[in-house]
Amino acid sequence: MMALVGSVQAVLRYRELLALLVARDLKVRYKRSTLGMLWTLLNPLLQMVVYTLVFSTIMRIGIEGYPVFLLAGLLPWTLISVGSVSASMSLLGNQSLIRKVAVPQAVYPLAAVGSKLTDAVLSLPALAILAIALGRPPGVSWLFVPLAFLLAAAFTTGLALLFSSLSVFFRDVRHLIDVLFQIWFYVTPVIYPVSFLENLHPALRMALALNPAAPIVRMFQVTIYEGRIPPAGLVGLATLAAAVSLLAGGAFFVRSEDRHIHNF
Amino acid sequence: MPGSLTFENVGMRFRMYRERVTTLKEAVLGRFRHLRTADEFWALRGVSFHVGPGESVGLVGHNGSGKSTLLKIAAGVLRASEGRVQVEGRVSPMIELAAGFDPELTGRDNIFLNGALMGHTRKEMERKFDRIVEFSELGEFIDMPVKNYSSGMYARLGFAIAVDVEPEILIIDEVLAVGDERFQAKCMDRIRELKGSGCTIFYVSHAMETVAELCERVIVLHHGRVEFDGAPAPAIARYRELQGFVPHATTRAG
Repeated sequence: MMALVGSVQAVLRYRELLALLVARDLKVRYKRSTLGMLWTLLNPLLQMVVYTLVFSTIMRIGIEGYPVFLLAGLLPWTLISVGSVSASMSLLGNQSLIRKVAVPQAVYPLAAVGSKLTDAVLSLPALAILAIALGRPPGVSWLFVPLAFLLAAAFTTGLALLFSSLSVFFRDVRHLIDVLFQIWFYVTPVIYPVSFLENLHPALRMALALNPAAPIVRMFQVTIYEGRIPPAGLVGLATLAAAVSLLAGGAFFVRSEDRHIHNF
Repeated sequence: MPGSLTFENVGMRFRMYRERVTTLKEAVLGRFRHLRTADEFWALRGVSFHVGPGESVGLVGHNGSGKSTLLKIAAGVLRASEGRVQVEGRVSPMIELAAGFDPELTGRDNIFLNGALMGHTRKEMERKFDRIVEFSELGEFIDMPVKNYSSGMYARLGFAIAVDVEPEILIIDEVLAVGDERFQAKCMDRIRELKGSGCTIFYVSHAMETVAELCERVIVLHHGRVEFDGAPAPAIARYRELQGFVPHATTRAG
């Protein structure tokens, strides 16, 4: 616990470096692309068009304002999955730096999450416009969106710390997490509403209730799509998921940090 | 006391796997086998010395003697396997200049990135910016991506940043091998200036002339152990003796 606190303080001392690493990622990523930052918006929007076509015209999932529901869920899910996957390569990708400059290594996975978090926050206006167009204008419940983002970011950070460290020791972790996130995507109510799970066998339902990503995603659907202030129970579950992920990932990272350099 | 560096009985062990375990399958299947075949290699063992504030100490040794490992421990990149290391003061490691450069970013962006890697705030770097650009002699190239720089330009920028961060301990590892003669001379002037201002200097080089000129004390490393610690002339003689090498009378040392 003391080691964890010390590491957090060390990372905080390097917050300007963290900001620069995030800026570097965004700059490099959008250089030489004509549409630049617009891709951040186009990507989820194109995804939404595809899913909307499939699920409201072919499979007829029958949800009113499906595009808003879908985007509200895709926003946190993309942060969790893309953030974790890109962070998993952050230590290996920055190994030449880690070998030479003594900074807290956690800044690299944190910067990867920070860059994806920026993407997610930037796509919020597009979502708001879409919500207005489909007759679900942002209301008071949107005041809870920052809280939802905070919890989603904390949850992602825990996974990012765990996976970035693990993939230093075992190179096939990145292939494993690709598969993991595909399965995880389909068992999390992102493209279908949570009510779809009610018809399942009770044992299966119990198992799915343990999915820590579900309450995080739910926070976004409730505040953005349903326009409701999230109930205390949901906020509690999402906070628990975020805290466990952050503490477990952080503890693992702190324990293995010194050994990374011997395994590059 | 700022600017001091103490090593007490420091050892650094590396595990050398005959076949490195890098996949899960290998780890599971070879769980016990790989533990047996791990060879231990001590890159440093029983290393003790103290560098006081304002001292200029040279570190020499043949290739593979543990110099880089020692510097990495001093810079905080590696953690020693045994012993005690105490570093007091702001360390500016010039272990391979420009290590923190991102080729896609401009020289300007890289100055700020490098400064942040060394723990400086944006404000501090803004204050130093003009001086760094001037020292590096890059002029308008500062707004070009560094991937378009020549190796000399790269090194010049790296050196300009490293010496402008007002270090209390300056670690210099073979950096003057790049850049033209005139720029090398300029770098040496800057190092002398820092030395004059009371900065502790830890200098690693194969250029014995410069070591003798810059340092009042030289540590000789041999196979991870301190072989000699004392005045430059006998230290350099010991270093050459260990190598079994005497430079030709007509060629310049180093």
